[in-house]
Amino acid sequence: MPGGPRTNSPSGLADRLLTGSLSDEALLRETGSGIDTPLLPFASVIKIGGQSVIDRGRAALFPLLEELEQNLAEHRLIIGTGAGTRARHAYSVGVDLGLPTGVLTTLGTGVAMQNARILGYLLARHGIPVITPIEFGQLPLYLAERHAVVFPGMPPYTYWEHNARVGLIPPHRTDTGTYLVSEVFGARSMIYVKDEDGLYTDDPKRNPSAKFVPKATVEELLASDFNDLVVERAVLEFMLNARHMKRIQVINGLIPGNLTRALAGEHVGTLIETDGFDGG
Amino acid sequence: MRKTDRSVVPLLPFVKVVKIGGRSIIDWGAERLLPVLDEIVSLFGTHKVLIGAGAGVRSRHVFGVGLDLGLPTGVLAALSATDAEQNAHMLAALLARHGVVSLPPPLVTHLLPALITLGNGVVVNGVPPFELWEHPPSVGRIPPNRTDAGMYLLAEVYGADRVVYVKDIDGLYTADPKTDPSAKHIPSISVAELKEMRLRTLPFDLLVLDLLPLGHHCRMVQIVNGTKPGMLTKALAGEPVGTVIHASSESGAT
Repeated sequence: MPGGPRTNSPSGLADRLLTGSLSDEALLRETGSGIDTPLLPFASVIKIGGQSVIDRGRAALFPLLEELEQNLAEHRLIIGTGAGTRARHAYSVGVDLGLPTGVLTTLGTGVAMQNARILGYLLARHGIPVITPIEFGQLPLYLAERHAVVFPGMPPYTYWEHNARVGLIPPHRTDTGTYLVSEVFGARSMIYVKDEDGLYTDDPKRNPSAKFVPKATVEELLASDFNDLVVERAVLEFMLNARHMKRIQVINGLIPGNLTRALAGEHVGTLIETDGFDGG
Repeated sequence: MRKTDRSVVPLLPFVKVVKIGGRSIIDWGAERLLPVLDEIVSLFGTHKVLIGAGAGVRSRHVFGVGLDLGLPTGVLAALSATDAEQNAHMLAALLARHGVVSLPPPLVTHLLPALITLGNGVVVNGVPPFELWEHPPSVGRIPPNRTDAGMYLLAEVYGADRVVYVKDIDGLYTADPKTDPSAKHIPSISVAELKEMRLRTLPFDLLVLDLLPLGHHCRMVQIVNGTKPGMLTKALAGEPVGTVIHASSESGAT
């Protein structure tokens, strides 16, 4: 057999990885020790809602974009876009046709891309580019030079998307895609810009007696029977395993000033954190 | 969201999905890989084969370097995809005279139906294109969606009833056969039964056990020994050689 690559590791972990089983819990646990290098710790990741913001057109988007522009001097913004009503329509047609989840995922991805292009063109005069997953290697340059990038919020799984536990709708959509960007880059914040003040005990659009919840833990939310978790369930499940992003913020982007306050670190909207997260 | 449980269209129901192990087969070079490829070529004409390439020991090395540098799971996943891509290139080069090409992920979704219909087989990178968007694992930092999971996901979306993992073991045992003489071979088992056994290690991506029960089409994975000629042929003919892991037990309980 041809000789294997050699390791130069003082810890021995590298040697154990060469020969060990990646289902060995003790070995996996060992890979959790050691340093975590945050890649873009000064970046703020923002998700602009599809149905909640972009689909509303200029009434929602123009004031929000003006507020984004005002924050460009001080902040470095990685801006993901939601999908929205066209995705729901495409999923609906696709489900009726019996298409598998992996195919439906590509439909949602297209809508998030449309919204990214819309946002990109509106931010074009600031030299802010739209990048897709394969161009993420360039993201650091744009962030340094233009202070912002726009990207479509869907993760790039396409046909490899996992099946959902129930039904055919892809379980990892734009909340999840943008969350994973914040986690992998070790960003300073993950802010969801929607059209409600934050988390409620029920969908406030359908139930007028729903109560606003300013702060909740991931564990509480996953155990709750809230009809509307305000973010995709997968976000909360991934937060339990996160190395970096253990707090997310959900704000009402239709109220001027909320985004600026959230970027400044103020508790506006709802904070969702893993239990025991100390804000460090 | 309205209920969406309907029967799902199988996109390429006739395709046989096979994954060739990285560490178990490809890293061994000619000694193990060439006989496996000869066997696959002998099956052209009978089957259309989607051939996934495992990553192998180079990914273990890059994980070691990356972890030492503190790089996050998503970066490790992106790096590992390159190792499987190299292996896919080697497989495609060796099968080129049979009209087999290697398709990178974006071209898989666009071209697989055409190339697999017109030809005998297509090679793909076994690592799914999750890249920076790989899921944070519940323990440690190794990317969980590796090549066994990646090829399972392709089998499922294309409507295959199983994926065959070509490795260097006869399948699963109740204990390690190298150290425990009482170890018994397991020809068939369900996900639930296997989880209950709490074996210390398993010779495939653990995530597959979570994906299998969610499958609409692909509700079996089969582990065969690629160092024994004829095993793969039997598996693709539907014979239960090696070990078959079922999404649910015969009674239907999951």
